Amino acid sequence: MSEPILRLDHVTKRFRGLVATNDVSFEVPEGSICSLIGPNGAGKSTIFNLVTGYLPVSEGSIHFQGRRIEGTPTTDLARAGIARCFQIAKPFPELSVHDNVRIGALFGRDGARDIGAVTRDAMALAGLTERAQTPASELTVGYLRRLELARAIAARPILLLADEPCAGLNATETEDVIDILRDVRARGVTVLLVEHDMQAVMRVSDRIFVIDAGRKIAEGPPEAVANDPHVIAAYLGTDEE
Amino acid sequence: MLVAAVRRRAWWILLGVVLFAAAAFLPFVTTPFYVRVGQLVLLSSALGLAWTLLGGFAGYWSFGNSAFIGLGAFAAGIFEVELMKGQPWLGFALGLLLGAAISGLAASVVAWPILRLRGIYFAVAMLGISQVLAELNNNIDIFKGSMGLVLPRLSAFGLRPEALYFYLLLIATILITILAFAIQHSRIGAGLMAIREDEDTARMLGVPTERYKVTMFIASAALTGALGVIYAHSLGYITTSSVYRTEFSLNMIVYNLLGGIGTLIGPFLGSAIMVILTQVVLGRLLSIHMFVTGALLVLLVLVAPKGITGLVRALRQRWSAR
Repeated sequence: MSEPILRLDHVTKRFRGLVATNDVSFEVPEGSICSLIGPNGAGKSTIFNLVTGYLPVSEGSIHFQGRRIEGTPTTDLARAGIARCFQIAKPFPELSVHDNVRIGALFGRDGARDIGAVTRDAMALAGLTERAQTPASELTVGYLRRLELARAIAARPILLLADEPCAGLNATETEDVIDILRDVRARGVTVLLVEHDMQAVMRVSDRIFVIDAGRKIAEGPPEAVANDPHVIAAYLGTDEE
Repeated sequence: MLVAAVRRRAWWILLGVVLFAAAAFLPFVTTPFYVRVGQLVLLSSALGLAWTLLGGFAGYWSFGNSAFIGLGAFAAGIFEVELMKGQPWLGFALGLLLGAAISGLAASVVAWPILRLRGIYFAVAMLGISQVLAELNNNIDIFKGSMGLVLPRLSAFGLRPEALYFYLLLIATILITILAFAIQHSRIGAGLMAIREDEDTARMLGVPTERYKVTMFIASAALTGALGVIYAHSLGYITTSSVYRTEFSLNMIVYNLLGGIGTLIGPFLGSAIMVILTQVVLGRLLSIHMFVTGALLVLLVLVAPKGITGLVRALRQRWSAR
C-alpha cells in the first residue's frame, strides 16, 4: 500500500487542562476525499489547526507525504503543498477576485511558471471568471466561498483542507461547492473536509472520521459510519440520558 | 512580471519621465526661492515614498521615521567632519552609504521585537524609538547633537547651492521611485499587499510575512537615512532639533494620506499640494497660516478619505456607472 498523503499518529492537543484532541489517529489516502465530522466543539477545527502548523501538537506525530511536519511553520507547509480554506471566508477585501486568487498562485507550491494562467484556471474551476474584477468586499457569501476555494486551488496544493465549505449556503450553492471539490479531486488533489452538512458529506466522501469530545469514535465509508451506533449516540444522544 | 507591469503602465511612466525632465529645468527658469520650494517637494516626496514601502504597501505605519533622518544625518556628518577633511565629495558619497547602513542596521535591530506589534502598537513603538534616539543624540556629547555640526561644503559645476541640492534630491527621488515601482510590481509587492489586507491569511497562503516586513522596514529606513544625509548637507549646519523632527514623521504620513496611501503618485501629489500651499500660497499670511493648513487637512480628509487618488477613482466609477 502506498504511503498516505496525511497520517496522524496518536495526536493529542491540550490547552492547559482542556484536552481538545485526544489520541487521534487516522490516514488520508492519496487522491481521496475524506471528511471529519462530529458535533460542535468536538475538536475538528483544532485538528486542522494542528495539521497546518497553526497550533503546536502536545503529543503524537503528523506525517505529510511520509515526512514529519509537527513544528513546521505554517508558511513552509503552505509552500510544501498544504492549502486551507476557512469556514469564515477571509478574502483580501480591497483586492479584486483576480488579485486575491493571484496571491494564492504567487505564493503556492514551488513557484509557478505562468502565474497568469494558473490564476485564470483556478478562477474558471471555481466559476469566478465573470467576477474577476469585482472587489472581494462586494461578493455574496456563496461567491466568497468560491473565492476561498479558488485561492487555495491556485496554490496547486497536494492536500486541500476545507473547513465547512458548505456552511450557510443554500442547496444550489452547496451543489456547486460539491462539484468544485470533485473537480479538485479529479486533478489529483487530496481533500480533507470538515463539514456539518451531512447530505453533502455522505455524497462526496470516500471515507469519514467521526470525532466526539476530542476522540475519534468511528471511521469508515459513509454507509458504515451512518449506521454506526456510536455515531448515532454522539449525534442524537443515547436512551439512558 | 515587472516587464508586464511596465508595459501596462507605459503612459504613466512616460508622464513621470516628462515631469522629472521638466523639473530638471526648474533652477534655470525661476528664482532661488522656488528652487528651495522644489527641493522641499522632492525631499517630502522621496521621504513619503520610502515611508510607503512599509506603511503604504504592508500597512505598518511608522510614526517615527524621522529617527532615520537623524541617524543618517549625524552618522554621515560625524564621519565626514572627523575623517574626511578636504575630500568633500568622497566624504559625501561614503557618508551616504554610511547613513543608509546605520539607519538600516538600527532598523534591523529593532525589527524583530517591534514588527511583531501590529497596527497602532507598531506606530507608537516607532514614535517612542524616535524620541529616545533624539534624546540620546541631544544629551551625549560625542554625538554633537546639542552643539551642532557644520558639514563640509559641496560644490560642483558652478551651481548655486540650492540648485545643487535640488539636483541631488531629484536624482535620489528618481531612484527611489524606480525602486518602489519595482517592489510594488514584483512578488514581494503582492505579498506586502496581502499582509496589509490580512496578515494571518497571507501567512496561511505561504507569504513569508516576517521576512517581507523586516526587509521592507530595513529598506525604508536605509533610504530615509540616505535622504537624511542629503538633507543635512543642504542645511549645512545640523543640530538634534533640525533633523530629529517629529514634524517630518507626521508629514510623511499626512502627505501619503492626502495623495492616496499605497500608491506611488500619492506622496508626490500630497507633497506638492501641501508644500506649495504652506510655503507659497500661505507664506504671506503668516498669522493664519497654521490655522488654514489645519482646516484644509480636515476638509480633505472629509471630502477624500482615501486621498486624491481614491477620490479620482470614486468619481470615475460614478461617471462610468451613469
